[in-house]
Amino acid sequence: MEISEKVKKLIDDELKDLDDSSEKISEAFTCCVCLDLLYKPIVLACGHVSCFWCVHKSMSGLRESHCPICRNPYHHFPTICQMLHFILLKMYPISYKRREIQISEFEREADCFSPQLEDRVCKGQTEQEACHANNSQMRVDDTEASSFVVDHGDFHPTVANGTCQTITVDDALCTFCNQLVYHPVVLNCGHVFCESCTLVQKNEMIKCAKCEIAHPGRIPKVCLELDNFLEEQFPTEYALRKSSVQLKQSCGQQESPSTCSAGDAKESSPVLTSSGGHPLSWWGDHKVHIAAGCDSCGMFPIIGDRYKCKDCVEAIGFDLCGDCYNTRSKLPGRFNQQHTPEHQFELMRPNSIRNIMWRLLRDVSSAPSSTPDTPESGVTVVPSLSDDARESAESGFVTPSETGDTEEDQSNDHEEDSM
Amino acid sequence: MDLSRVHKELRECNKDVEVSGIHIALKSDSLTHLVGTIPGPLGTPYEGGTFKIDIILTDGYPFEPPKMKFVTKVWHPNISSQSGAICLDILKDQWSPALTLKTALLSIQALLSAPEPGDPQDAVVAQQYLKEYPTFVSTARYWTEAFAKESSLGVAEKVQRLVEMGFPEDLVRSALEAAGGDENLALEKLCTA
Repeated sequence: MEISEKVKKLIDDELKDLDDSSEKISEAFTCCVCLDLLYKPIVLACGHVSCFWCVHKSMSGLRESHCPICRNPYHHFPTICQMLHFILLKMYPISYKRREIQISEFEREADCFSPQLEDRVCKGQTEQEACHANNSQMRVDDTEASSFVVDHGDFHPTVANGTCQTITVDDALCTFCNQLVYHPVVLNCGHVFCESCTLVQKNEMIKCAKCEIAHPGRIPKVCLELDNFLEEQFPTEYALRKSSVQLKQSCGQQESPSTCSAGDAKESSPVLTSSGGHPLSWWGDHKVHIAAGCDSCGMFPIIGDRYKCKDCVEAIGFDLCGDCYNTRSKLPGRFNQQHTPEHQFELMRPNSIRNIMWRLLRDVSSAPSSTPDTPESGVTVVPSLSDDARESAESGFVTPSETGDTEEDQSNDHEEDSM
Repeated sequence: MDLSRVHKELRECNKDVEVSGIHIALKSDSLTHLVGTIPGPLGTPYEGGTFKIDIILTDGYPFEPPKMKFVTKVWHPNISSQSGAICLDILKDQWSPALTLKTALLSIQALLSAPEPGDPQDAVVAQQYLKEYPTFVSTARYWTEAFAKESSLGVAEKVQRLVEMGFPEDLVRSALEAAGGDENLALEKLCTA
């Protein structure tokens, strides 16, 4: 009690010292949900932006979620857009600090944490190099604990010293062509590309050129807020990029930025939208793990197989969907969990209908995102995926032993859904 | 509940009352119980009326819709003539956290201009709307005269009297709101404040 009061007082003092009245926050960077400065921004596939927690809280644990602004359906919790995060940090150092203090207080109370993004001075060093270094390191020592501190190599510990730094073109480079991003689209992994650069990848599955994570669904829509901002901020560079992209496109494709208003929202995820509004109709023929999300691809709720980490102590837990488990995803958790590759997983069975009904009636509104414990569900223990164990897992370890429970028998039907 | 968002909403909404005519006031000291005011849209039987809407914010706000119902009695196919309950999709499953109290009130105002008798809240009113439209219009107009006007006229007078006693106008208005229009109660509140 006393300690929490002390903490509160400290926070109040800290907030008092921050006078952000000098920073006029642009409408474009105001979150549509909390109506405050975007903090740890997430760009949805429709191009609309919101805060990490605002997106998370807007999502439905029962079925597909919808963009708060355009109601575009989506099923995967995207990763924070670091480019936008650092741009905002530079533009509004005081307000961003204030938001950080507010959110960290909320996180302490809720005992759930958003990913920690290292402060950095965005000078010279391109994200590309840093990420390469990061990737190779991850590949070499698989066993090394991967904390969710996104390691960009050359960070300087910065404090919000209250001086608004100027944004340079280097802060807004396309992950693919390394030039000022033109008509930016943000993939589910949070990386930003020019819309024209995503056209390069012709194969059906969209994969991030940087982190190689598959992007669920189609190419995202242009993030207009970011695009307009860049056009205003760098008029000459933007015009140059525009003409060069248009030149390239005039040879092949037509120029038509697919923004949200171009609107084919309704058809964007045929499998998931097919069954209308009521949650019951939605999970009818799927194995839905209510209020549990995949920490790798972000699928929420998980449809199909769900593997839960037995060793993560965080209240929110650590879960993987069948696909991410089988591809041995090494991504850190979405909520700063201290998950390591040595941790063991168990295969969770979706709650029985009875359980679901009970939950719907009892606490559907109060359930946060975390993992519901299901006392009645049979649990299969699965060893963590060291190299040799992996094959055994693939060769039928997943088969549920119980019979008679019809919805258990479709252990492979998640493959289409996870798109 | 996101208190700072509600604070912001109130500030923003009450900043341009002159333009929108939409006003939100506190009902109690907490931010969970509010009263919204919308003017009846021009060119409708509700024109000239001022309609009060009771607003209750749950813990889940803004991820759950605010609970809204009419306090002022109103004759409308999608609003219960008994309880004031409103049948409007955005107050139910079509709510989005990007909507605000102000946009919700604006939607209600739009609902007053464009009734949807196909999806009625009050079957009697809806039947009348479909079968005896002229009767519907005159009933709605009468209800506006009887319930939505007197109080607003009364309020103006009460405000004037209390302001003449030396209280600042904004305080007077909020005290009157909080006291449900009771002049004596409001005066008591102003004196103890």
